[in-house]
Amino acid sequence: MNLLESIRVALEGIQANKLRSFLTTLGIVIGIAAVIAVVAIGQGGQAVLMAEMEKVGTNIFFISVDWNDESSIRGFSAGDVQVLKDRLPGITHLSANSSNMDNVRGPKKKKYCTVQGVSSEYSFISKMTMKEGRFFSSEDDGLGRRVAVLDEALADEIFGRADPVGNMVSIGSTPFLVIGLVAKGESIFGFSENVNAYIPGKTWRNIYGSYISNLQGSAVSKETVQGTMEQAVKVLERRHPGVQYSSQSMEQIKQSAGKITGIMTLIISAIAGISLFVGGIGVMNIMLVSVTERTREIGIRKALGARRKDILVQFLIESVVLSVLGGIIGMAVGIGGAFIIAKVAKWPPLVSWWTALLAFAFSACIGVIFGLLPANKAAKMDPIEALRRD
Amino acid sequence: MIQVSRLVKIYSTGESQVVALQDVNLEIAAGEFVSVMGPSGSGKSTLMNILGCLDTPTSGSYKLDGVEISSLDDTGMAKARNLKIGFVFQNFNLLPRMTALRNVEIPMLYAGIDAKERVKRATTMLEKVGLSGRINHRPSQLSGGQVQRVAIARALVNEPAILLSDEPTGNLDTTSGEEILAIFQDLNRNGATIVLVTHERDIALHTSRIIHFRDGRLVDDERVENPLDALEQLKKQRTVPAALSEEAHFVQTEESDALREDAR
Repeated sequence: MNLLESIRVALEGIQANKLRSFLTTLGIVIGIAAVIAVVAIGQGGQAVLMAEMEKVGTNIFFISVDWNDESSIRGFSAGDVQVLKDRLPGITHLSANSSNMDNVRGPKKKKYCTVQGVSSEYSFISKMTMKEGRFFSSEDDGLGRRVAVLDEALADEIFGRADPVGNMVSIGSTPFLVIGLVAKGESIFGFSENVNAYIPGKTWRNIYGSYISNLQGSAVSKETVQGTMEQAVKVLERRHPGVQYSSQSMEQIKQSAGKITGIMTLIISAIAGISLFVGGIGVMNIMLVSVTERTREIGIRKALGARRKDILVQFLIESVVLSVLGGIIGMAVGIGGAFIIAKVAKWPPLVSWWTALLAFAFSACIGVIFGLLPANKAAKMDPIEALRRD
Repeated sequence: MIQVSRLVKIYSTGESQVVALQDVNLEIAAGEFVSVMGPSGSGKSTLMNILGCLDTPTSGSYKLDGVEISSLDDTGMAKARNLKIGFVFQNFNLLPRMTALRNVEIPMLYAGIDAKERVKRATTMLEKVGLSGRINHRPSQLSGGQVQRVAIARALVNEPAILLSDEPTGNLDTTSGEEILAIFQDLNRNGATIVLVTHERDIALHTSRIIHFRDGRLVDDERVENPLDALEQLKKQRTVPAALSEEAHFVQTEESDALREDAR
């Protein structure tokens, strides 16, 4: 029997049992919709995360001393920083960082927060935008001046309405002159708002009496960051034999973050895929019912010259039509759902054409796989037995 | 046309064996109109199933149109059913969801005839059995006699070598039954080979040869000298207008339907 006629018969069957067909396809609809939505949301989220990291700068790298080692030193010296800068022109900026938690007291209240001791170049590396005032200079750092730059959120909290720039705060028990405010970053992840006080690295070491705990630098581009970072580590290892350094570039972090979100998406899709499997079983179930109900029809068709193959194909097509209908509806629901969620989460919806194509092909496959058993049962029916049945 | 020799059919159900046909020898020539009679369990239905290529004999030979059927596989049997045999059943066996036209198209679907040709041939065939105005009706919208005429059109549409009919009038009133027999007689006069199973002698007397079955054996092969003419019978029932000529009765059946309804 030809394909078109089989599809026609299948559609007539579906029409004759509207509610039943709807409930059967619902399983497929939910499965396909879930997979498409999850993949779209996952990819959208991943894209946003990548963009966010791109904004921070993928040419950034970090180096720290590996503490597991029984090494003589636990950090970097000012000399290390200078040598790296002199020897490696690939490093555009380099900041010697240390940090700890302390009380920062303003006229309104005090806040226990992170106090970062950094170099003046830090503002370039982390692409800070000043809301007011300025970041401290290399001179401030070199002289160990007691000047501080506050994150906008911190300033708002401890100063209230008063203007912070030009006023004093005390960090721990040391008074500092506030010289600038760092503007709030426009982060999609609104919760990761920074609340930091930045002071010159030398000043920090004077007060807390500790060493430079890590180096943060930027390379010429994200392509060269890996090489530059490795060179820097080599230079350091030559200066301090036996000391182990660990290093990481933003590019690496970005890649592993991409990998993690990719795996997460895959896992959740797999879980959503289970509902697709359940939907397939629903199709099989209803096809078995359909074969039993239409035993007589099978008998008649066989008496009129239908071969086993004809009956098999007819029922297979019916289950494929049922599944593909579910697939199409599921695709619409899934894409719609992804758009709505993307809108709420304020990130771009990413429904790739291949996801839709895959869903379509997959639902057709479900139709074939789960239709095979019922269709085979129908095809193997004995025509005499089938004709006798009411 | 049909050559059956030493045909045996044994049904095995677990330990017990039922002999449905025992050493049956039968020959039906092309152009014959034969009826098969016998009480239930006599083996006449089993014979019909084998003749119709729906079942295979346990032993013996069955040649249809010169082809040995017992040597055919499933596909070969299906092809034989499709092209060599036309079935007309007691309970009509139309597909209820489909129109008369599409029911008649089914055998052509399996013969691989294209859509345009199918519609053309099916329409012609339905016109021949007097249903030109009802081709788009579903079985539920037709009377029993009309449904059986659709079934006849369906059986004939692939121009089979033989028409097999199992109690075709069993579910019909006398008049409708007589009309179906009139169609059969007309077909036979035009050269069709027809085998009809019945348990009513009145029906069997419309054919030219009656084969009697009992306990799986062919017990009698009776010649009917003067078969009853279905049209004459219809005239006796005074429901067919005198003007209805023998040549034209095919296309007039619809009119006779209307007349019969008037008569009630």
